[in-house]
Amino acid sequence: MAGWQKGECSSLVSVNGITFKNAVRSPDPDPSGDFNTLIVPIKRAGNLIIVEAQIDSVAGNFVLDTGAPYLVLNATYFRDMPHIAEQESAGLNGSAPGSFTTEVHNFNILDLHYPRLTADVTDLSAIENGKNIKILGLLGTRLFNKLAITVDLFRNTLYIHKLNDDGEIPLAEKAFHDPWMVTPFKYMNDIIFIKGAANNNTMWFAFDSGAETNLMDYDRVRKLLPGMQVISRTKTTGVGGSSSEVIYARFDTLTIGGRRFIKNRVLLTNLDKMGKAYGHSVDGILGYDFFIRGIFTINFVKKEFEMYIYTNQ
Amino acid sequence: MKKCRSVFFVFLLLGCIAARAQKRGSLILGKDHLVLVIDLHSSKNQLDSLLKAAGVNGANTAAIYKGDYSTLKKDGWKLTRRLKTTLQFNRSLAALNANPPGQPYLITSNFSGDKDTQAGEPGYPADEPYGINRFSAITVRELPSGATRFFLPGYLGAKRVQLSGSFNRWSTLKGVMAKTDSGWVADVKLTPGVYEYKYIINGRWQHDKTNLLQHPDGFNDINSVYYRYNRTFLLPGFANAHKITLAGSFNKWDANGIVLQKKGSNWETKLYLHDGMHTYRFLVDGKWIADPNNPATVKDAEGHINSVINLGEIVNFKLNGYSNAKKVYLAGGFNNWKPNEISLKKTATGWALPLIIPAGNFGYKFIVDGQWITDPLNPRHVSEGGEYNSFVAVKPNYTFALKGYTNSKVIHIAGSFNNWDPDGFTMAHTGNEWTISLCLKPGKYLYKYIIDGNWIADPANKLYEPNEYNSQNSVLWIE
Repeated sequence: MAGWQKGECSSLVSVNGITFKNAVRSPDPDPSGDFNTLIVPIKRAGNLIIVEAQIDSVAGNFVLDTGAPYLVLNATYFRDMPHIAEQESAGLNGSAPGSFTTEVHNFNILDLHYPRLTADVTDLSAIENGKNIKILGLLGTRLFNKLAITVDLFRNTLYIHKLNDDGEIPLAEKAFHDPWMVTPFKYMNDIIFIKGAANNNTMWFAFDSGAETNLMDYDRVRKLLPGMQVISRTKTTGVGGSSSEVIYARFDTLTIGGRRFIKNRVLLTNLDKMGKAYGHSVDGILGYDFFIRGIFTINFVKKEFEMYIYTNQ
Repeated sequence: MKKCRSVFFVFLLLGCIAARAQKRGSLILGKDHLVLVIDLHSSKNQLDSLLKAAGVNGANTAAIYKGDYSTLKKDGWKLTRRLKTTLQFNRSLAALNANPPGQPYLITSNFSGDKDTQAGEPGYPADEPYGINRFSAITVRELPSGATRFFLPGYLGAKRVQLSGSFNRWSTLKGVMAKTDSGWVADVKLTPGVYEYKYIINGRWQHDKTNLLQHPDGFNDINSVYYRYNRTFLLPGFANAHKITLAGSFNKWDANGIVLQKKGSNWETKLYLHDGMHTYRFLVDGKWIADPNNPATVKDAEGHINSVINLGEIVNFKLNGYSNAKKVYLAGGFNNWKPNEISLKKTATGWALPLIIPAGNFGYKFIVDGQWITDPLNPRHVSEGGEYNSFVAVKPNYTFALKGYTNSKVIHIAGSFNNWDPDGFTMAHTGNEWTISLCLKPGKYLYKYIIDGNWIADPANKLYEPNEYNSQNSVLWIE
């Protein structure tokens, strides 16, 4: 789930619409917590990964969303937060009209404490409706950029690891050993880009734990298409009545980190707008259909993605 | 060389299409178009599902068999190849580039083609007519205070243990359990019903190992199931009986399903029983008897006397006047609108009846000597299938209140709870506000008021979200 601004909007200081040109905001301070590995229970809503977190006294559900660069709050519940920057109008970057940037204080994921966090406030009703679960916001990657996370969807557990001086999870703290697949990734504009191949065609994928399916850009994968079996062709209608057509199809082989994933499913659409939001064009997005194949660890410091096959370790 | 490759590819594609078409048609991708191959020998069901997958809405399959392809043409498909028993249609993929989505969730969140979860909501059990708990060791029990105590034995070295379930919306922050010398306890206030739960021990989910009742959790594991009881069936005497069971409409008259236990001079069983009317009997060593302590009975079709219990809330229906009427009946959603079933009693000022009704939202009418009328004393109404009925909510859990608008003649409320029917619920004008109470299940609701034809969001509700009409819907969460 991506498409948020790139974060530059938070560099200037703005108080309720008045921007101070010569004042520059300091980056969000690092989080703290008395743990080496924090074990956080996960909930599921459809194919979304839900983690409960707390902002001051408000507690609720957040989507673990590596497609979001940082914290995003649902405007339904946070539209009265102070504005520190307005966002561009909808269309260019995919953010909804009326979106703005704010900052929150005392954000906690169990024992992991963030004294201050920059956050976008935007409409997330499309996620909430149909899931019947209250979504306060999205946990983007910047929350974990000094850490590593392991997501075990077979036991619905999230491990948040502190890293040693080498940027590694200390061996004694590893929940799983002997990864089945390891791949480096590029971390650009707080988005994870993984190089892979679909039916032997090299592609760059964004890894998005908030995408409930894999996605590919229709124009960029045209040569892959002939012969692909179509599961369905559907139209989706969004806020404001805009609709997009998508094709849901099967493709045989996805190769990531030298490992082959077979029987893949993908939504074909136009990813231009999403690429603009990422600040980098993208051929495809790896979502649920990919990450449900195993337990995955993202080390944001070493910029390494690992996948484990479950063996009750 | 390039041309050779293209020719080879076309042959390969056509071969592939022909092979698939021999089965039951196919839907595959070309480089810039969709290829739909229809096998005219396929069944109507096969063709229906193929056209549904192709996104052709409202296709008339019978017409297609007869050579009428207008619904396909209207949807942008072009007939490109016709063989004896197969048809090939192509459709451009250019539409994929129109209106590209800005965020993946805008297309993936409500896309139904790739959900691992089943229909319904895992973790939130559906209503059941009755339920009896089954534990290998009793670890959940009712306290005299009315609370339910959950006890997890052991895990004394754990740092944090929580109780999470459908009763607290599966919170992973609430439900913190207190440590005792032998395990962990949490007391929860539950209303009668069925619940699912798990424990969270140091961040890891675990079902209750002593609870033998389980539901799939939708994610390769199980949830424990607990019924909060609301009914004790008691049969005094029968000191020499060997086996006594209870059977009724709630368990489809299964004579062996519910066994009573001997306690002192009584036989008894406790269970959860859903609101509504139930008939039952006891089976005492093979002989059926009605409940001697329950005067309410009814004769079934075979002439057996069954005991009757009616669970719900008393609603006092009253109709003033009509003193010359011979018969006044009441019919509504609570009795499936059967016209001659519920009879009102004549009083000094008109007609009245106290009636026990299960929780829910109901339309109703009086039938005065065959003539259907709305309740003149009730300003709240509901539109059901074009019919204008009086409205009552039994055990309502939310009241919508709109202040002001004193000059308005009629105000409706419409929302996701009634498919946005603009005539749905008519609110009552009481004092300085318009109100209506509804019985709503936990979950999210969107709604608006309709004041003299104008739709407005609830001015008293700070929660709202944008809608497809570029305006706002009010948001309500029932926890």
